[in-house]
Order: sequence, then C-alpha cells, then structure tokens
Amino acid sequence: MSEVVKLQLIGLAVVGSGALILLLVRAQFVRVIGFVAIVLGLFTLTALSVPQMASLPPVEEKFDIATVKTPTDMATIGQKIFFSKGQCALCHTIGPSESARCPDLKGIGAKLSREFLFESLTQPQAYIYLDYRHGGQPKEYPARMPYINKNPIGLSKNEILSVIAFLQQMSGEPISVSVAELEVPGQAPAAPVKVAQSGPVAVAQAH
Amino acid sequence: MGGSLLKPVILIGIVYAILKFVVPNIPGSAPLPASLIFLYLMLTTSGIVIFATLSGESKDAFWNPIQRFMTGENIGGLQVLRYGVLLLFPLMVGWQTYSSTATSDAPPSENRTIHPAPPGEYTGLSNPVPKTPDTIQQGKGFYAAFCSPCHGGNFDGKGPAARGFNPPPANFSDPTTIAMLQESYLFWRIKKGGVGLPIEGMPWKSAMPRWEVELPDEWIWKIIMGEYDGAHQAPRTWE
Amino acid sequence: MQQQGGWFQRLLQAGRGHGGMFSALLWAVGLLSLPALAFGADVAPAAATEYRDIPYIGSRNLVWVVAQLHLLLAGFVLGVPIFAWLCEVVAWKTGEKRYDKLAKEFTKLLTSAYATTALFGGILLFLLISFYPKLMNYLTDIFFPSFIVYCLLFLVETMTLYLYWYGWDAMQDGHKKTFHIFLGFMLNFFAFFIMIVPNSWATFQASPVVLAEGSDIARAWAATWNPTWWPVNIHRLIANVVLGGYICGAYAGIRYLSARNAEERDHYDWMGYVGNFIGVFGLLPLPFAGYWLMREIYQYNQQMGITLMGGFLSWLFILQAMLIGVLFLGSNYYFWLGITYRIPGSELKYRKSMLSMLIILLLCLGVWMTPHSLVASLEEARKMGGTHHPLLGVFGVMSAKMTVSNLMILVTFMSFIMYWRAGKEETAGWAKAAKALMSALLVLAGIAVVVLGVWGYFVPAIIRINYFSTSQVMIVLFVMLTITPLTALLLKSAKTTTEMVWGKMPPRAGYALVLNAIMVILLMTLMGYARSSSRVHWHVYGVLRDSSQYAFSPALGYAAGIMALNTFLFCMIVAFIFWVATMSDKAKASHS
Repeated sequence: MSEVVKLQLIGLAVVGSGALILLLVRAQFVRVIGFVAIVLGLFTLTALSVPQMASLPPVEEKFDIATVKTPTDMATIGQKIFFSKGQCALCHTIGPSESARCPDLKGIGAKLSREFLFESLTQPQAYIYLDYRHGGQPKEYPARMPYINKNPIGLSKNEILSVIAFLQQMSGEPISVSVAELEVPGQAPAAPVKVAQSGPVAVAQAH
Repeated sequence: MGGSLLKPVILIGIVYAILKFVVPNIPGSAPLPASLIFLYLMLTTSGIVIFATLSGESKDAFWNPIQRFMTGENIGGLQVLRYGVLLLFPLMVGWQTYSSTATSDAPPSENRTIHPAPPGEYTGLSNPVPKTPDTIQQGKGFYAAFCSPCHGGNFDGKGPAARGFNPPPANFSDPTTIAMLQESYLFWRIKKGGVGLPIEGMPWKSAMPRWEVELPDEWIWKIIMGEYDGAHQAPRTWE
Repeated sequence: MQQQGGWFQRLLQAGRGHGGMFSALLWAVGLLSLPALAFGADVAPAAATEYRDIPYIGSRNLVWVVAQLHLLLAGFVLGVPIFAWLCEVVAWKTGEKRYDKLAKEFTKLLTSAYATTALFGGILLFLLISFYPKLMNYLTDIFFPSFIVYCLLFLVETMTLYLYWYGWDAMQDGHKKTFHIFLGFMLNFFAFFIMIVPNSWATFQASPVVLAEGSDIARAWAATWNPTWWPVNIHRLIANVVLGGYICGAYAGIRYLSARNAEERDHYDWMGYVGNFIGVFGLLPLPFAGYWLMREIYQYNQQMGITLMGGFLSWLFILQAMLIGVLFLGSNYYFWLGITYRIPGSELKYRKSMLSMLIILLLCLGVWMTPHSLVASLEEARKMGGTHHPLLGVFGVMSAKMTVSNLMILVTFMSFIMYWRAGKEETAGWAKAAKALMSALLVLAGIAVVVLGVWGYFVPAIIRINYFSTSQVMIVLFVMLTITPLTALLLKSAKTTTEMVWGKMPPRAGYALVLNAIMVILLMTLMGYARSSSRVHWHVYGVLRDSSQYAFSPALGYAAGIMALNTFLFCMIVAFIFWVATMSDKAKASHS
C-alpha cells in the first residue's frame, strides 16, 4: 500500500467517524468535534487528490579544481558562488532593480579591471567608488560591503577568482582569469591574498 | 416530492451540460478535464445548499422532502427507491475503491508544473548583449535555425515538428508564457533544456534540447531577444 | 505597493530616532550581554554535530507540530487582547456593559493561554537546540541581542497582563477606568513587539541580508531589518485580529449550541455576532497585506516567488483559495442568516440581493480556484494541448486572481453594510441621494476592478503589478472608507423599524461559526508550510544550507495531514483553556 493510499484511508476514517458522531451522539460538544473531524478529513482528502510531488534538494556541488578546464568552467562555478555561498546576490543585482540594496553589477566586468575587482572584494573600504552616473548626490545604499575573504562569508582565493570570471563573462568581456592561477590544495599557497596586500590599486579604470 | 428539490437538480444538470458541451465548442477552446468540471459542480452544489438554507422556510422546503424520503413513513412506491439509494451508496464506495486500485493501462493523472522555479544562480542574470536592431535580427536568425522547427516561425508553438511532441512546444505569443517570465528564466530553460528541469517540472516529459552543448551563451541571449521581439511580448522586469 | 512599503519603513525608522527609551533599552541590553560575550569566548568551538533526530516521528515533524502550535497559540494570545481591548473601549465609549463583560470574559482566558503559549515556546526552543544545533548556533550568533530584548519584553508583558486582568474590577470607575484602558493599550503595545522580534528571526531565514562587520547590536539590527520583516509583521498583526475574532465566534457558536436557557442563547448569539464582525473586519484588508508580502518576496528573490506562485507550491495556493473561499462564503452566510433570523420580516426583502451576491461570490471563487496547470489524464491533456486549458488558462494567472479577490471583498463588504442597515429606516432628507451615491460607488468600483483586471492581460507585467493591481486595491479601500462613515452618518438619525431579536438563530449558524474558525486556523497552518517550504533546501535562504535528511519539502497531501492534526490539537488546547477558565463561573452559577 502506498503512502498516499494509507493517508487517504486515515482521512476517510476520520471523516467517517465524524459522520458517525453526528448521526449517533447528542452531546453538543462531541458533535462539534465530529463536525471539525469531517472538515479536517475532507481538507486532507482534497490535498491528497491532486498528484503528489515532493521537492527534492539539488545535489550539493563542491569546488573541485580537477573539473575546471577552461575559464568558462570557472565562470560557471563563479555563477553558483555569486548566488549562494558568496551571498553577493543578497545585495547586488545584475541589471537594474527596484530592490537593489547595493550598486548594480551589470557590465562591471567590462568597467573595472580584475585587480580592482579583487581589491573591492577583499578590501572593500580601500577605494570607495562613487556612483556618479546619475548625477547630483552620490547614491547611498543601505548595506555596507563586507570583507568577502573573511568570515562569515570567507571565500577562498579560488572562489573569488571564479566570481571575477563570472562577472567578466556577464559583461560580455573575454575572461582574463586563467585556470593556471587557481591554487591546488596541498601545495603551499603562494600568499593567498597577494594582490590585496600590495596596497590599494587606486586607479579605477572607469569608462 | 416538491419542486424545490427538482430545481437544484435541473440547475446542476444545466451547469454540467454547459461545461461539458458548450464551453469546449467555443472557438479556441478545448474539452475541460474532469477534475475541473468536478470543482465547478461542487461550487454550484454548495451555492444551492447555502441559498436553500438561508431561512427557515426555504430550508424546510429543501430539507423536508429529503428527510421524508430517507426516514418518513407511508411514502408508498418511493420505499423501493429508498432501499435502492441505501444500496447504491455502498456500491458506489465499492466501485470507487475498485477503480482506484485496479490496474489500468492509463498513466496516472499528471500535475506538471510548467514554469517551475529556476535554480538560484539563474534568477538574477541580465542580458549582457546590448539591445540593438542588429543583435535582435541576429537572434531571430538563430531562432529560425535552431528553434523554429518546433516553436514555429510565427512564435506560436506550431512548427513543422511540433505535432510530434507531447507536451507540445511552448507558444510564445500566448501572454501567459514568456511575457510572465524574466529573460534570465528563458536563459536557464534554453541552456539546460528539458533534462535540467526540477522534479516538479517532470524533466522526463520535456524534449527541449540542452542548448548549452551546442550554442555559446551569447547566442542564447540573442535568441531570447529575437524571441520576445518576434512574439510581440516584453519580458517581465522590475524597472 | 513598494512605494508605500518604503514610506512605511521610513516612517518607522524615523520613529526609531525619537524612541529614546527603546535605544536606551538596547544599550542596557548590550551592557548586560557583555558578560555573555566573555563567557562565549571561553567556550571551545561547538561540536561537529549538525543535526539530531528521534526515531519514528522524525525531528522535523516534531518541530513542525510544536512550532505550529506555538505560533497558533501566540496568534491567539496576541489576537485576543486586541479583541478584548476593542470591546472594552466600545463599552467605555458607549456605556454598554455587555461589551465590558465580553472583554473581561476573554481576558480571563489570557492568563492560562499565555502560560500555555510560553510553555510551547519553551518546548520549541529546547527541541530546536537539540535537533538543529548548526542552525541555532548561526542564528544565536547574529541575534543574541534581540534574544535578550525578547526576554525583557516578556517580563513587562507579563506584568502588564497581570495588572490588566487582576485590576479589572478594581479599576472600573472614572480615572481608574481610563488607566485600565491605557493598561490594555500597553498590553497590546508590548505584545506587538513580542510578535515582531521573533518575526525578525523567521523572516531573516527567508530573506537574509548581508552582514558586514560591526558591533553585535549593529549586526542584529541590520539582520532584523530584512526585506520581508514589515510585510510579515503587518500581515500577522491583521491575521491575529482575524483569528481572535473568529475563535471568539466559534466559542460563542459552541456555547450557543449547548445553551440551556433563553438568557444564555441571547448572550452567545450576540457574542457570535461580535466575533464574526471583528473577524470580517480584519479579513477585508488581509488580502492586501498578503499581496504586499508576496510582492516583497518576489522582488527579494525570483526563485522564491516562482516556487510559491507558479512552481512547486502552486497547488497549495489553489487549496488556499478553497479555504479562503469557504471563509468568505461562511462569513457571508452568517451575515445573511443574521438578517433573516434576527430581523423578522426582512427575509423576502433581501432574498434577491442575497442571491445575486451569492452568485457573484461563487463565480469569483470559481475563477480563483481554477489552477493554471490543471490536473488532467493523458487523454485530456492531449485534447487541451498541454496542461493549460486554452480558454480557462487565463483564469490561472495573477491578474484574474487579484480581480476576483477584490470583487469578493467588495461583495462581503456589501453584505456587511446590508446587515448593518437592515431593520432601520433612514429619516434624513438626503438619505435617497446618499443611497444612490453608495450604490453608484459600489457598481462603479466593481466595474473598474473588472476592467483593470482584463486590461491587465494586455500590458507588461510590471505595469500591471505596479499600477493596475495597486489601483484595484486602492479603489476597494476607497469604497470601504467612504461608504462606512456615510452609512454611520445615515444611520445616526435613522429610526429602527424592527428590533433585532437575539437567540433565534438556527443551529447551523453555530456550525458556520465553528467552520469559519477552522478555516482560519487551517489557513494559518497552510501558510506556515508555504513559508517554510518556500525556502526549499535552505535553513537561511541562499546562505545556510539544510544538509539534514529532511532537506526535502514533503508533498502537499502529507503536509495537509500534519496541518489537519495541528489544527485539531490547537482546537483541543483552546477548548481546554476555555473549559478551565469558565469552570468557576459555572460552579458559581449553579450555586446561586
């Protein structure tokens, strides 16, 4: 007997006992309970009458360097990180939006160099890039950019590079991050946030 | 047995006839599934019961004949009918049980979600290709080459190959399809195809190819622009 | 809608600037929590256990049942004071003692209901700590300042409640009564904060915001102001009024059914009337609040919006339409029964208008309940060309649903006005003109709503959502806000032709009241499931993944079984509370 049939039987039994109570019992409170049982049983039976479908979680994917062959692969991984672990999409949108809490990242990969992107992620306060496009007062946003390479988000360098690859791809730019830059675990990491430590890259290549 | 009982029965009959025979014959319509007809009949019945029990008199006029039929004495020839109804009820339950458990070659009714939720990483994308007459034209060209065999040269889901598919290819000129969705949704659907659907979308039903294997992302974005333009629809936006 | 939302939030944020007391409280909490910080630093990193389970029942099911019961009880405990306070104010203003008696009768329930709610809250907390250590660590880390605020709020709420209840008889006259009313207000004021603080934890799970470095309070504050916090607060506040009203109705219905003498019948008939009235009063604006919430969710994350409206949970909304439909029908039915039974001789006069209202309601309901993706056999699906019906498929989208729900609200409002005016004759000279104006308004509003709804198919979604749906809501609200005072003015000078007769309602009226209450409770359990499963496989949406064996969302039928169980358990608990609270009254009544 399938689970649905079992539940249907329970539902029918509940409705039936409710009906019996209404037919046989005179005590008002018990009758009301019978009535409630009928209503609840019918509700369950209605819900059981549509085809049943559970929603399964997707398979959890791990960042595995062995599977990354091309910059496009990196961008694909970067896309996933951007919208989940990196929490970027909690504030940023790609394309204009009413609910944007932070600057729109559409075309950002074309506007900014990858070094500048890396610095914005790891040293968000190093160079505040004011959004002058709209004219007048610089736009104020409700959220403050956190350090992406530190807790609680804590992306690794590989992950940050992937996100940059994704941003460049989304701007219709050739991806300038290469697969060779990824650190293979086990080998001694060569200064994980090298770019970030070499001081602010104060030149925004805005055009 | 008063006319007050006859009227509801006739009313339900009329509603049923309309749903079963009139609605399907309206141009552009199709027969209603049984589940929908049942739903509407239930609504009609509850309306009748509500209206009949609004006042004491109307409730008596509605309920007394039923009660007399079920429990009254000296109802003459109706006595047989009463036993008939009392017998019929368990028989119906039995038949229902039988028909729901008997093996049959008909596949179970399905409840396929046509537009399931996209994976998170596709929800926030926006079209990186600038919208110019040129790119739209390119998109239409790609559409003609890759999509039109099924989705149709007129964007109406009636391409030459469409008849072979069940479910049929989506009709983009219908305002309840792509006009309800954002461009990023189409990007996901085209890129991942039928097999990329989540379980509630029944990935095994759709024959949509996984175009990421064949086409670069840029082409897909152009196709999306061509599609909206050709079907005279606009994507859903938050601007 | 978004503009209003922004406006509202700004107002509240502005209010924060003046709320010196509140920020002082926050500071106090911050200072108090310093030792806790030091304590926390000593503790080694938590053990790797992420989830625990119990056999047979399953941890998720147990948490589900307990959380739902806690929430329902909380809704009851927060709804009843609003209800009782409103009644008390009415009694105070009009001098009608029976309202005061009613308010007191319900406040009496509060002390035991309050304890039960806290009990279930405690059980829930222990279960969550035991079963979901990973999630609870995460949330505690962000929210511990507001955990402490919550405890403090509980202290003041409890004190206020005790003063309010035990001081009822002592504070009956003059200034004392004014103070008592003020106490009632404070009770609701604190209760509101008791509601919105945990709301922020739950809404953060559904719509988290990014947390930059900062003090603990700054982080908790940032997390509290997440996009769905205020929509949920408003929606829940209104829904609590509805729950309180309908439960009062159901209680009256049951007591009416088992009443032994004419006096009891009179009293409980009247109480049922008041309960239904307050329930409908809250029900009318509720869909608007729901719409705002839904819109914020959609805007926050498209995936979540589609999961709810068009994806995995779309059938849930058909069930929701069914329940709301029954609720609307039930409430109208009760109004209509009231007209025919309580106002002798009015039956024939109103029968025609009742029939037309019923037909409109049923047609609207038919549209609302028509799903976009239909359940069809292979044969049927082939004939339709897919699971969308080519003609009726247009009923399946938002434009149609918005239109019919607005129409149903209008019709229910008409019922309400009709009931209000029944048995009275307007004497004012301008009565004719006013009545013509009112009917013209109603008809025009109905037409405008339908026109906007149909037009909505031919404009881009964003125009429909931002302008058309909003205008529909505005039109309906405008009609309600103009006709209500107009009718009140009209009836001020009216003479009563037929007195209302209490205690003549048939038993089915009592059952209708019970049915309405069950529908409201079922709706709350249903939407609890919707809220929880719209997060799909995330504890905190997009941030903290659910990696337990219960990361899947159960199918609707199974969920409906648990919802029904929750509803039943809640009804039994409430019945028990009522029984305990009225035991001494009955004893007293039998002695005298």
